[in-house]
Amino acid sequence: MSRRPAGIAAIKNKSLAQAKYKDKGSAIADSQFAQMGKQMEMFKGNLEDFATKHRDDIRKDPEFRLQFQEMCASIGVDPLASSKGFWAEMLGVGDFYYELGIQIVEVCMATSKRNGGLISIEELRRKVEASRGRNSQAISIDDLLRAIKKLKILGNGFSVHKVGGSFLVQSVPGELTLDHTVVLQQAQEKGNVTKSDLVNLLSWEEERARRALDFMVKEGLAWVDHQSGNEHSFWFPSLIPDFSNSLN
Amino acid sequence: MIWKKELSPFTCEAKMADFDWPWQYKFPPFFTIQPNIETRKKQLEAWCSLVLEYQRHTKQYGLDITEAQSSVLFYNKQLNRKLSLDAIYTVLEELRKRGNLTWKDKTRKSCTLIWRTYAEWGKIIYKWVVSKSLTNTVCTLYELTNGEDSEGQEFHGLDKDVLIQALKTLEAERKAELMDFDGSEGVKFF
Repeated sequence: MSRRPAGIAAIKNKSLAQAKYKDKGSAIADSQFAQMGKQMEMFKGNLEDFATKHRDDIRKDPEFRLQFQEMCASIGVDPLASSKGFWAEMLGVGDFYYELGIQIVEVCMATSKRNGGLISIEELRRKVEASRGRNSQAISIDDLLRAIKKLKILGNGFSVHKVGGSFLVQSVPGELTLDHTVVLQQAQEKGNVTKSDLVNLLSWEEERARRALDFMVKEGLAWVDHQSGNEHSFWFPSLIPDFSNSLN
Repeated sequence: MIWKKELSPFTCEAKMADFDWPWQYKFPPFFTIQPNIETRKKQLEAWCSLVLEYQRHTKQYGLDITEAQSSVLFYNKQLNRKLSLDAIYTVLEELRKRGNLTWKDKTRKSCTLIWRTYAEWGKIIYKWVVSKSLTNTVCTLYELTNGEDSEGQEFHGLDKDVLIQALKTLEAERKAELMDFDGSEGVKFF
């Protein structure tokens, strides 16, 4: 039985073998790397094509924009993560939402005098679209919600409340508890609500209803009406659609 | 010569047909003075603008409290809401503070209520006078505000008392001089 050659020759053989393997390994790695490089080039090229082709679509079409966002989410990419970088530069997506954020702030500031800093998302959408001008892109509710999310990161004091089937955007810092949003929901139908409404329809204690309504009056979200018959009623400017074109 | 145009309620209603009411006018709580201070500030500001705009639109230079209570300005029939007498006084007090209103008597039954100050009226009139090259000429007060030439001008039909006060501000600037001639009140512009 021949044993493995020991001695210097054996050692030399082993290192030679190792070296050969190493070479082969490098060679494999090299070629893989080259392949990957080519693939990346192709991928980048495709992406650039995509960007050029669809940059306009992304800016113009809310449906497309939404699908684009969902696609990005599914592959773990956030095109709004930074204002620099490929997505922002190639697609201008970051700019789009950044601009939208500024317009949202402007509308909220201009209308807060009337509604106390609480605006329905439909009215917000209408006014933002109006301020963008006749020929500019349509804006969807989804667009607004994403832009507001970005604003929140900047600490702008924005919060979004789900009320009924829709949303109310609060642009002034302040605590709106669940009770308050429920009051708003209750008031949505007629634009106003009485203490009895809350007691009877929500089974609240009188004290709870009084507290909630007083808070909203204090915050400038509700106005009182002393001519509403048996009971005072409370009205919310933010629930009354304002169809004027002015920002007042 | 009829100086004080009697505005019948009918004429008033007709005039209001094309008036641009602000959103607050259709908002029931607008007719209740708000307990929250910040909200009340906004409310009174809106009322002041509305009252002055109403005066301008109907070309009225004064206000009588009794008439005012039932006027369409303070009483929105469709909404079934109106400003109480107290509330009306609150709004008028605000206008007094801003210099638009002067009570004619201590009982506060009627007042002068102008949407422009006398000085502003003076400026407007003088600007027109210059544009028509009427400096160094004389005209009667009536001609000035009721003549054909000034038709379409904002001061056309201006109340005589307001006009005189406006011209006095111009007198102080030596741009005009009030005088009598031929038994009529007149003014010379420089």
